[in-house]
Order: sequence, then C-alpha cells, then structure tokens
Amino acid sequence: MSNKILDIKNLNAFYQNHQILHDVTLNFFSNKATAIMGPSGCGKTTFIRCINRMHELDPKAKVTGEIILHNQNTLDMDSILVRRKIGMVFQRANPFPTMSIYDNVLAGYKLNGIKKSRDEKDEIVQDSLEKAGLWHEVKDFLHRKGTLLSGGQQQRLCIARSLAMKTEILLLDEPTSALDPYATANIEELIEELKKDVTIIIVTHNMSQAARVTDYTAFLYEGKLIEFGETEKLFTVPKHKMTEEYLAGRFG
Amino acid sequence: MLGEKTLKIFVFISAASVLLLLFVFASTLLWKSLPSIRVFGYKFLTGTTWDPISESFSALPFLVGTLVTSFLALLISFPFSLAIGVVLGEYFNTGVWSYFFRSLIELLAGIPSVVYGFWGLSFLVPRVRDLQVKFGVMPYGVGIFTSALVLAIMIIPFSALMLREMIYLVPKKYKEAALALGATRFEMIWKVALPYARSGIFAGFMLALGRAMGETMAVTMVIGNSNDFPRSIFSPGNTMSSLVANEFAEVSDNFYLSTIIQVALLLFLVTIFINIISKYITRKLSVRSSL
Amino acid sequence: MKNDIFFRKLQSSFFFLVMLVLSLMVFLPLICILYYVISRGIKAINLDFFTQIPSHVGDSGGGVLNAIMGSFYMVFLSIIIAVPWGLSAGIFLYDAPDDSRFAYLLRLSVDIIQSIPSIVIGIVAYVWFVMPMQKFSALSGSFALAIMMLPMIVRSTEETLRLIPKTLKEASLALGVPHYTTLFKIMIPSGVSGILTGGALSIGRVVGETAPLIFTAFGSPYLVHNILKPMDALPLLIYNCAMSPYESWHTLAWGASLILIFFTLCINLLIKIIVKKWEVVL
Ligand SMILES: Nc1ncnc2c1ncn2[C@@H]1O[C@H](COP(=O)(O)OP(=O)(O)O)[C@@H](O)[C@H]1O
Ligand SMILES: [Mg+2]
Repeated sequence: MSNKILDIKNLNAFYQNHQILHDVTLNFFSNKATAIMGPSGCGKTTFIRCINRMHELDPKAKVTGEIILHNQNTLDMDSILVRRKIGMVFQRANPFPTMSIYDNVLAGYKLNGIKKSRDEKDEIVQDSLEKAGLWHEVKDFLHRKGTLLSGGQQQRLCIARSLAMKTEILLLDEPTSALDPYATANIEELIEELKKDVTIIIVTHNMSQAARVTDYTAFLYEGKLIEFGETEKLFTVPKHKMTEEYLAGRFG
Repeated sequence: MLGEKTLKIFVFISAASVLLLLFVFASTLLWKSLPSIRVFGYKFLTGTTWDPISESFSALPFLVGTLVTSFLALLISFPFSLAIGVVLGEYFNTGVWSYFFRSLIELLAGIPSVVYGFWGLSFLVPRVRDLQVKFGVMPYGVGIFTSALVLAIMIIPFSALMLREMIYLVPKKYKEAALALGATRFEMIWKVALPYARSGIFAGFMLALGRAMGETMAVTMVIGNSNDFPRSIFSPGNTMSSLVANEFAEVSDNFYLSTIIQVALLLFLVTIFINIISKYITRKLSVRSSL
Repeated sequence: MKNDIFFRKLQSSFFFLVMLVLSLMVFLPLICILYYVISRGIKAINLDFFTQIPSHVGDSGGGVLNAIMGSFYMVFLSIIIAVPWGLSAGIFLYDAPDDSRFAYLLRLSVDIIQSIPSIVIGIVAYVWFVMPMQKFSALSGSFALAIMMLPMIVRSTEETLRLIPKTLKEASLALGVPHYTTLFKIMIPSGVSGILTGGALSIGRVVGETAPLIFTAFGSPYLVHNILKPMDALPLLIYNCAMSPYESWHTLAWGASLILIFFTLCINLLIKIIVKKWEVVL
C-alpha cells in the first residue's frame, strides 16, 4: 500500500438534530483516486464537504471526529487554510462570471490578496490549464469570460482553478453529472493524468466511471461506511451483501 | 482591498446604524415635540383651531385635511387604477403595446411632485375656479378638492402597476378553469381573478394611500394653505405635510417649532401605520403564493 | 338561452371597452402636463439657461446653473453617503440566518424608513444639522436625500444577491477565500447590474425631491461650491420660482421642470441600458 495522506477517524456529521454521517473511518492514499459511492441522499456530498470544512458553513451543521492531514487534525485548523490545501470541484461548473479565463485560474490568489509578478502569474495559468487539459483550447483567448466556454471546458477550468492553488487533494462532487458523454470522457482521462500531482476523491453515481478511473472505492449507505477497499476487489468480490446488491443495481 | 475583519465590522456597523438611524429619528421627533405635548396633551387632536398668535394649537384641521384629501384622491383614482390593472394584467399583459403603455405610466410616476404642483397651479386651479363660479361656491380655485385631483393623478401609477402585478399573478389554472366552464372573459375577471387578488389589490391601494398622505409639494402648492377647519371639500385647507412645509419658514420661537414637529410626528405615525399594513398584507401574499 | 349567451358576450365586450377607455384616460393628464412643461419650458432653454444664475427680480433672462450644479453636488454627496451604507446593510441582510431577530428588525426598519414622508425627513435633518450648525447647508440636504435613498439600496442589494446562485459563493469559499471577502469580491461584482439599477432608481427618487430640501439646503440665488453653505437645487428653484409672482421666474421654473423630467427619463433609459449591458451571465 502507498502512503496515507488523509486519515479519517470516527467522523460524524449532523444537520440540526439529524445525524447524516455515522462514525466513518477510512484512509485516503496519496496520488490515488478514490470513489465515494452510494445511493442518493446517503451522505456522499456531506462527506466530502466535511473534508474541506464546507459542511460547517451552515450554522445548523456540526462535525465531530478527526480528519488528519500531515499529522494535524484539520478540524482544529483554520478552515480557510484547510480549504486552500484541499480543492473542490462542484457538480455544476461554477467559474466566476465576472472574471476572464485567466483571472478565473488565478482567482484563489487574487481573492486572497496574494501578490504575484506578471511572469509568475503567466506561468501558473499556463501550468494549471495544461494540467487541466484546457490550455490548447483556450490559450488564444485567455481574456474572454470563463462563462462563455462549454460545460465540459468550464468544469476543467474549475479544476485548473483548484490546481492553481497547489492543492494536495482534489474533491470532485459528481463532476460529470451535468456533462455530455464526450466531455465526461475528457474529464475521466484528465483524472488519470491528475493523479501524478494530486490525490483525488470523487463522488460518483456512475459505477462504470468509478471502475474506470479510481484505485479505491468507499461505499456509503445511510451515512455509514459499508465497505472500503481497492476498486477492483470491491467490484469483483464485494465482502458485504449490501455492496453486492448495490453493484447489481438492486437499489440506489 | 480591505481585510476580512474590516469588512465584517463595516457590514455590521452599517446594519446596526440603520436601526440606530430609525431609533434616533423617531426619538428626535418625540423629543422635539415634548414641549408641545406637555402643554396640549390629547387636546392637540381635539381642538379645532390653529392660531400662532393666541398660541392655541390643534392639529385636527390638518389631520382631517390629510385624511380627506388622500381618501378623496384614492376614490377618484380608483376606477382608473383598476382599469389599468385589468387592461395591463389581463388583456394586454405582454407585447409592445403593453410595454409602451407601462413606460408611459412609469413616466407619469417619474414626474417630480413639484412639477405636478406647478401644473396644478397653472392649469387645474383656474379651471376649478371656473367650475366653482358656475356652481356658485366661493371661487378659490385652490383647496382640498384641487389637491385631491392632483394627488389622484400622482398615485394612479403606483396603485395601477401594483394591481397589474396582482392580477397578472393570478394562477393561470384558475383563469383557465373559469373560461373552460363557459365563463366569458368579463365573468372570469370579475368573479375569479379580482376576488382571488383582492387582498393584493387592497394592499396596492393602501400603498397609494400612504403615498398620498405623505405627499407634500404638490399639495402645498394648490391647497390654499388655510389653517381654518375646512368647511367643505372646495374650501382651502392644509394637510399635515403642507402645514409643515408652509409654516416652517415662519417659525418664530422654539415652542412654535415644537408644535410643528409634533404635527410631523403625527404624520410620521399615520403613514407608517398605513404602509406597514400594506406591506404586511403583501408579504403574507407572497408567502402564500410561494407555498 | 341563446339570447342569454349573446347578452353575456355583449356584457363582456362592453366591460373591455369601459376598462380600455378608463385606462386610456390617464393619458389626458400626462399629455396635458407634458404639453405645459414642454411648450413653456422650451422658451426658457437657451445657452444662458445653462450658464447663468437667475436674474434679478423683474429682469428677464438668466439661467439655472446654480440649481443644476447644486442638484448635482447634493445628489452626488447623497450617493456617497447612502451607497456604501446601504450596500453593506443589504449584504448583512443577505448573509443573516433566516431566523435572525436582528435581521427581522432591520428589514422592518428599512420598510419604515421607506415610508417616512420626505417632509418629515427634512424636519429631522433640520434638527440634526441646521440647528446645531446654525445655518442651512447643502450637506444637511444631502443627508436628508441619503436617508431617502437608503431603503431602496438596501433592498435592491439584498434581492439581487439572493438571485445569484449559491454555488458561486461556495466556489470562492472552497478556494479558501474568507467569508466577507467572498461577499464583496465575488457576490457584489456578480450582482452589479441589479445593484446599479437599484442605485439609479434611488437617484430617480431623490433628484426631484423638494420637501426634504426646503429647510436644509434652503436654496440660494448664487453659484455655490461649498457644501457647508445654503445651495439651490432644481426642484427647490422650481418651487421658489413657481410660487413667485414674476412671469420671468415662472418661465425659468418651466424650463427647470423640463430638464428635470428629461433627466428622470435619462435615468429610466440608463436603467434599461445597465440591465442590458452589465448583466453578468451566470
Ligand atoms: N445543508 C443541509 N440542509 C439540509 N439537509 C442537509 C444539508 N446537508 C445535508 N443534508 C441532508 O443530509 C443527507 C445527505 O445528503 P447528501 O450528502 O447531499 O447526499 P448525497 O450527496 O449522497 O446525495 C440528506 O438527507 C440531506 O437532506
Ligand atoms: Mg450529492
């Protein structure tokens, strides 16, 4: 096994009086992709939003447990610093509508008031867009609005925006659910590439997608972690009956 | 750009200061009217004379003036507002003509009140005077009736556009159900759409009423500025706002100032009351329609 | 039975006709007012009208430069006071939790402030500024106008922000951008067209206001550039000239009415342009 980057212990998440996640314990490994699967409403989104401290944005929400990144419990860290280290890509692409493609990539720096020289900025933009597989498509009109791109391109722009912050971990919440098959294939290829630089945690509904692009899979059901393991094993010889039924399409 | 902390403090202070503004605003009015309140008490609302020379002050003539002018204005504007609301909300609710019509009504709403007053003075007053000669009443020209006429024109845009909105927002399913049952368009509007929208329509008219009560310049210019208790709707008078606008320049001492500020306080309370009722109704409605 | 249907159809058409005629009747006063303002105002408008101050009583000619400049100064100053204030109060309302009592009170206050008659605002501005300073000033007038603008700016900011998808806010937060920085740097720029529209509407609301200025800015026949001194404004000039017995001043007042209405029209046009041009495609 490769080395752990994120160690999650007894994670519980609440919304008002309702417990969404129950004692979730698992590890994520560096430079691997892990799929989070499970039926709709089982807490997948909540789970990854806990990891970058987005769940607690709502004052009615609460999180307990430990999420350890480099020997530090992120739940005790400043949430803003955690979010700069752990990037997130949403279900629907959301480039900033007031910014150009160029500025969208640099948004994390601009909004956080981090100054960079012109050359550094150009480098970050090119590097991030290349990693996101978008550079060749947009390099001639970097100063157009990001919202003018196609859905798949917008989603890759959002990935570039996260990469630009030199994140170590990238959370993707059903990133292809709003895309056509061609754009979906593009993103899937991209994930394979991205593993060189970052650790990927991807929520997906699509079993074949999980099988294609991930190394590990976690199966959640009603807020509980049912099974976790190497994707290949989990898909071929599931240990748990519930996982087997889910994979057979009997529920979800 | 400013730091996170600064922004947070700035937002909080801005919000708190709006509350504070209203609080200090109301307190100022109350505090400055205290000398007058102490002397007159409730008699400020029951006497019938306002006479700075003998220092006998009662706001009743102006309270009556405000109520009569604004309700009369509402009455005059009612059929027109309703008609515009029905025409724009039901018959021509989209398209070029509707847009054109609405733009003209917005133009009417955009004319400054001092211009209404000036026009009233130059156009309406002489015509009302001619009428009064014909009917054998004192031909002042200016007066409560003239003010109500100007006010009626001024408030039509507000109630009409609000009515349009309310009639337009009556769910299609009710309108279509009525038509499908063989109702004519008139029956549908009269028996389904208007009753459905009735509280919205009421709120629209309340809003217009609030506007009319607070309106100052146009009224001041055509009401005749008489401090006597109005004898008929054709006699000159004063509303609370026109009294304040008119007498303020002549304030000689602090006590007189205090009586005028008390009139302002009264006006403040009356308009708030009307507006809060109408807002309360509209908000209830939007809750209902969103459910 | 057949007759009955015929009668009902007739009734329906008749109703439509009555409604149409009644609604078209509002054009009578509109046309009449515009006719008065245009036909009389046009006579006043020439180069002097825009470059001179009013002439002495009895002399004809003169202009309204003092009032144009005064209106400009006072509206500008009130924007400077009301926009940052109202904008951040609007942000506060957008940001507050649904069950916040403070936000509830703030919304109520905004509603109340919006319904205060402008003359009452003028009185209070008099008590707050003119009495302690012992003189009329443009500053006090601007403050009165700012109070009138405030509710509209607060409301339009809040409503505009609510229309912006939440995902935008989340995208920014997920980049580690702090909360308020996100509101000011992402949400406000994304809602710029709605907020500017609210601002323009509120300018339209105050530019024609006379009542709050009578005891604050007071008016002045001279060209004044000092905001601590009495200053004229177009609506004030219209009022003072209209109430005077001099024919030449009446002409000035019609001219001033014409440009004031023209200005209001320009603002309406501006709003339509803002909505088109500055609309942020989400
Ligand atoms: N902010 C929230 N407000 C209300 N309910 C929430 C919130 N966050 C999560 N939940 C509840 O938590 C449960 C899990 O939701 P979610 O994590 O979105 O599931 P998934 O992404 O697997 O479909 C749902 O029952 C949802 O209603
Ligand atoms: Mg989800």
